[in-house]
Amino acid sequence: MKKKWTSVLAVSVALSAVLAGCGGNGNAPEASGSPSASPSPSASASPSESPSPEKVENFTVSLRHIQIGDPQKFRKAILDDVVKKTEEEVPGLKFELDGVEDSVNRFTKLPAEMAAGNPPKIMSIFGGAGDTQKYAKAGRLLDLTPILDELGLKDQFLNVLDPFSVDGKVYGLPIGGNTEGIFYNTELFAQYGLNPPTTWDDLIKAADTLKENGITPFAVGSKGAWVPNMTINTFIGRLAGPETITGFTTGAAKWNSPDVVAAYTLYKEWVDKGYFTKGELGKEYGDMLNDFVAGKAGMMFDGSWRSSAFKNDAVGAAVAGKVAFVTLPALPNGKGDQTSVNANYGEGYGFSADLNENELKAVKAFIKNMYSDEMQLRGLLEDGVLPSMKLSEASVAQVSDPIVKQVLDVLNGAGVTFPHFDSVVQSKVYTETETQLQKLIAGKATPQEVADAIQKVQDAENAAAVQ
Amino acid sequence: MKNALRNPYVYLMFVLPTIALYFLFFIYPMLTSVYYGFTDWDGLNRQNFIGFDNFATAFQDPEFRASIVNNVYILLFSCCVQVPLIVVFSLLISNVKRFQGFYKTTVFMPSILSTSVIGILWGYIYDPDVGLLNNLLGLLGIDPIYWLAESRWAMISILITNAWQWMGFYIVLILAAILAIPRDIDEAAKIDGATGVQRAWYLTVPLIKPIVNVVIMLSIAGALRVVDIVLVMTNGGPAGATEVMASYMVNKAIKYGEYGYGTALSIVIFIFALVLTALYQVLFARRQERIEY
Repeated sequence: MKKKWTSVLAVSVALSAVLAGCGGNGNAPEASGSPSASPSPSASASPSESPSPEKVENFTVSLRHIQIGDPQKFRKAILDDVVKKTEEEVPGLKFELDGVEDSVNRFTKLPAEMAAGNPPKIMSIFGGAGDTQKYAKAGRLLDLTPILDELGLKDQFLNVLDPFSVDGKVYGLPIGGNTEGIFYNTELFAQYGLNPPTTWDDLIKAADTLKENGITPFAVGSKGAWVPNMTINTFIGRLAGPETITGFTTGAAKWNSPDVVAAYTLYKEWVDKGYFTKGELGKEYGDMLNDFVAGKAGMMFDGSWRSSAFKNDAVGAAVAGKVAFVTLPALPNGKGDQTSVNANYGEGYGFSADLNENELKAVKAFIKNMYSDEMQLRGLLEDGVLPSMKLSEASVAQVSDPIVKQVLDVLNGAGVTFPHFDSVVQSKVYTETETQLQKLIAGKATPQEVADAIQKVQDAENAAAVQ
Repeated sequence: MKNALRNPYVYLMFVLPTIALYFLFFIYPMLTSVYYGFTDWDGLNRQNFIGFDNFATAFQDPEFRASIVNNVYILLFSCCVQVPLIVVFSLLISNVKRFQGFYKTTVFMPSILSTSVIGILWGYIYDPDVGLLNNLLGLLGIDPIYWLAESRWAMISILITNAWQWMGFYIVLILAAILAIPRDIDEAAKIDGATGVQRAWYLTVPLIKPIVNVVIMLSIAGALRVVDIVLVMTNGGPAGATEVMASYMVNKAIKYGEYGYGTALSIVIFIFALVLTALYQVLFARRQERIEY
């Protein structure tokens, strides 16, 4: 018995040694990638690296990002390069990257951290009343106005900082922009002799034809209701007019006005006609791309950020070169400018208000490196993210990706743009739109009931904001 | 030593640290959470005391009421379907001569898996396109059913998964009770000419009643607490069809940042669980006679 135990012990010791060895090997390249963050405490041993002869204090800065998974790999590469460059510039700095899925971060993790008062020092954040502005008002976010002045970035941004500002002070920086529209499979369209869905009649004809041939017209995954909300948002912008979206919080527009109800009615019509994936309420956002790539669906209504998924070396390689992007065609009974398109500059980075001197230095270097012409251009070229900063025409002319070109054409051809309502309305209202839209899809509520319920919450929130 | 233990101060000295720890880690957090239930705390700004407003809102909130109804479904399913099935399975397993250990292990297996694993596993079984269930139905020529995506199927799908997960645990409990019954009682009945079914119904079932009571009580408490399986499989969807009290509370507090309201809901859930289990104890369990061999 005794002998057996000794051998067990010996084996476990050997195993842990091997495991420890593995861990060491795994970490080694990471550490060597950032020479300034060498684990040895005697950083002063290499005076050539640090400008000051005094001892460099090692410190870490937490960085929350949402660039996880294969479809996001181009964005992650840009972030990694910025992180590496910043670590090289700031002596002793080591970033602690924490990748979290977008909606988990936005609706679960970040709110909990904000409540507890320990958010990451640098975090992916969304603009608007539900996110940046709420946290800024509670004093959780760093006022970036002086830093923008110091770095000379203030006038470099397009007119996109409003969702990230409170009382004229900037609390977050949008990384780029996007528009939401229709991706379609050109091969399937050619196979059935369909015209590109650039007019309403062509779109409906395409949907009907695909349906008859057993192909889902629009791939959608509505388990997270923000996905069908993209379609609803554009329907509202087109049917009720582009100024409607920003009018909800001021009371100028009502969710239960006939025009907005018409948008919900249209969506319900499409559901009833079988234009969307069957069982959409049980499908995830990722399933939507999979169905589209597999040719099970001919179109999908999605954000232009998806364009990088259709490159030869990305998840959508199967349909690479066979995908085109158009905006929703003009609606026959729409109000306002029918060339108007949705344009969002919602996703960006925010910074914790609670920073020490070293961390502030790191944050400034991070902003300088991330919000540069070079990175903005890379975002556009490699990833199809529209720049949030002013880029020269020569830079924009370098775009070669056909889908990104189509996205730029859509935006250039737009008379007016309107934002997504998730960056405008209060978070409780947005939540209600998600709850009610799922009820609409499930057939548990009529378009009018949906609109009335959302307006009720909107009224309460607007009244609370006045107080 | 004997004298020392008679001294109340010595007693206190031994007991105080424990009481302090207990207060710090159990009583104090509970009291604060009760306090938050009476505030409008949003997790960011200062909380205001708003009295019973949260509780009034809770009972007017149609979605919370719908989630209570869903909890009642789970409760009825556990007590009226699951428990009889558990007893039947236990009787069957207790009567097999060979491989009893194998059956015991197999039925117990789901209880050791984590709920997330089970949720994802059954998610594949229910998958409309490639799922096992729809493939089987396809063989019979039945169109695919969207188990987790359609309101009328989602709840029953969750109930089945939840039952699958927990039945094994209860079966093992009841099996232990059955196997503890002295053999001679059964043998005497056999000599008297009672059939297997008669012996099971008139002998075994009455003798295991106390443990069945415990199982029913655990089921009631479990049905009111159920949340993880819902969060993993449907997150309350489609359109709130599978929302239970606890998942609604989690979503309200964390996703929507209404911590005050969420805490109030948790107090409501706690009171429900307390009242129901107490009622069951008083009305049914206490009336049982003790069984002595």
